[in-house]
Amino acid sequence: MADTQTPAIAVPVRHVFAIYWRTWFAQIRSIVEYPADLWVMASAGAVWNILQFAFLAVLFANVPDVAGWGYHEMLLLSGLLSVAGGCNALFWDGAWSTGAMVIKGDIDYRITRPAPVIIQVGSSHIGMQSIGEVVFGVAMMVYGWIGAGIGFAAIPIGVLAIACAAVIQSALVTALCAVNFWIKGQASIFAFLMIELQGNAMKMPLGIFPIAVRLVAMFIVPVAFINFVPVAVVTGHMSAWWLAGIPAAVVGSVLLAAGVYRLGLRAYDSAGH
Amino acid sequence: MPILEAQALTKTFRRPDKDSGFKGAVRHLMQRKYKNYTAVDGIDLSIEAGESVAYVGPNGAGKSTTVKLLTGILRPSEGTVRVMGRDPHVERIANAHDIGVLFGQRTQLWWDLPVEESLKLLKHMYGVSDADYKRRIERFDELLDLNEFMPALARTLSLGQRMRADLACALIHDPKMVYLDEPTIGLDISVKDRLRAFLRELVNDGTTLLLTSHDLADIEEVCERIVVIDKGAVAYDGSIERLKAHYITTKAVNLYLEGAANVPELAEKFPDYEWTAGEAPSEVVVTYESNRFTTAEVLGSLTAQLSPRDLSLSEPSIEDVIRRLYAGELTK
Ligand SMILES: Nc1ncnc2c1ncn2[C@@H]1O[C@H](COP(=O)(O)OP(=O)(O)O)[C@@H](O)[C@H]1O
Ligand SMILES: [Mg+2]
Repeated sequence: MADTQTPAIAVPVRHVFAIYWRTWFAQIRSIVEYPADLWVMASAGAVWNILQFAFLAVLFANVPDVAGWGYHEMLLLSGLLSVAGGCNALFWDGAWSTGAMVIKGDIDYRITRPAPVIIQVGSSHIGMQSIGEVVFGVAMMVYGWIGAGIGFAAIPIGVLAIACAAVIQSALVTALCAVNFWIKGQASIFAFLMIELQGNAMKMPLGIFPIAVRLVAMFIVPVAFINFVPVAVVTGHMSAWWLAGIPAAVVGSVLLAAGVYRLGLRAYDSAGH
Repeated sequence: MPILEAQALTKTFRRPDKDSGFKGAVRHLMQRKYKNYTAVDGIDLSIEAGESVAYVGPNGAGKSTTVKLLTGILRPSEGTVRVMGRDPHVERIANAHDIGVLFGQRTQLWWDLPVEESLKLLKHMYGVSDADYKRRIERFDELLDLNEFMPALARTLSLGQRMRADLACALIHDPKMVYLDEPTIGLDISVKDRLRAFLRELVNDGTTLLLTSHDLADIEEVCERIVVIDKGAVAYDGSIERLKAHYITTKAVNLYLEGAANVPELAEKFPDYEWTAGEAPSEVVVTYESNRFTTAEVLGSLTAQLSPRDLSLSEPSIEDVIRRLYAGELTK
């Protein structure tokens, strides 16, 4: 067979993006064609969000503010966190399967293909049920945004914040799931732990926590930059300078995920069958 | 220069040393004891471009582990691998364009996508041109009947269909070096035949092939060279022809006598041959060394003195030879 392909030495970034989006769209097409129980799952996600909404409404019916934060500002916090988690599931759900793939040896083929393994794993599944989480998260944000009187001028910041939140959230989840390259197990306990703590703590203003917690959330596992920092800036609780921390957190968390994955692949032993 | 060269290739796995059950698991958590297990133990292997090599050995001999080392999936504990001059683990992206891999026990198809979508994703990933893609798919379809299941979701395929689709995935970028680990496992005879014909054609086209299999028919029909491994080490490496000539030194005659055969008595009467009981009481198997006696001689003396009802001749198969190699009865 005559050959016209050009072997690439490394993979150009544009090609990596193209591989990612093609894989993602192929799966979306397939989901749309075979929707199965998608709507049931999506509704379950939405119900969860309505409960959050209700919780905040009840809370603020009884207290005027939490550490200087009002109802609408808190809605923004919750909403942005939901959107970040939902986007992780919609766009990068495969990362959660890292542990299972390591145990089953399903990383094998991905190593033999000319594309980054982390991209192939991340794009390997779409958690379509989380569409509800994203839709309601955005609804909460819009409602909170209007209620807090933030105005139209800051909307681009809001949109960028959502994109960055999705990336930071996904990258941190990926880095923690990659621990399963060493600790063999299906369940990504560290990533679960992180979203569990986020779900409890990051819906509150960071100011109510002790300094140690604040430092960890800002600089060690920078979950604060997912929802707290952008919301605090647009609502005037923090100075605009803090916005610069968001791209830094994006770069840092992505590099962290890529680095842990790379080390994980060096330690990868496949499976014995 | 060989297309593939492995030197002193070794892989040692660390296995948790724990008792079974919950108690064992808890104790393991506390003590973290491990045992080392060497699955591949100092293998030297050199393959020239265009060769077709069968890599055989009993279960657990280290075949799959070797393939994973050669494809860059695993990092060797010791020793080196070079495929077209590259270390496949370190330069895995460049290496990926030149190799095709199939693990018969697992699929690389996207489980929830139609087969065609998986192939297209791979086409794009490997940067295969539209013209090449079309040509190759047409050819795979001729030989493997791909179109029969192209629109089907991968998870709905039968094992035979899945294997054919996986073979197309492994070859879509026309790799120079192809590794097939148990490509016929679990398939029925007709699919096996089809696959073998396809592999023969692949080899005729100049693709270098390393094939592991339990099915010796795969090996005899597709490969010229055979590497037998046992307990992670090479037990034989050479042409299949030489293996036969060297080790198939005996032949056998099955005799069907009128009454029940008395094996010890016969053995005493004809001490030059080896006698064993056959499946029926009246059947005996006479084994003789083919370089000492001609078949005519043997048949002459046997029929003259025993006047059997019937007889048949057999040659030991390559299977027997390989079984004896495993058992350590034969040496290199
Ligand atoms: N990832 C692994 N971790 C631990 N042990 C393994 C692993 N892979 C293979 N082994 C062990 O190494 C030996 C060789 O396995 P393998 O190469 O799969 O054999 P074969 O393919 O020849 O049947 C087996 O005993 C197997 O249990
Ligand atoms: Mg095997």
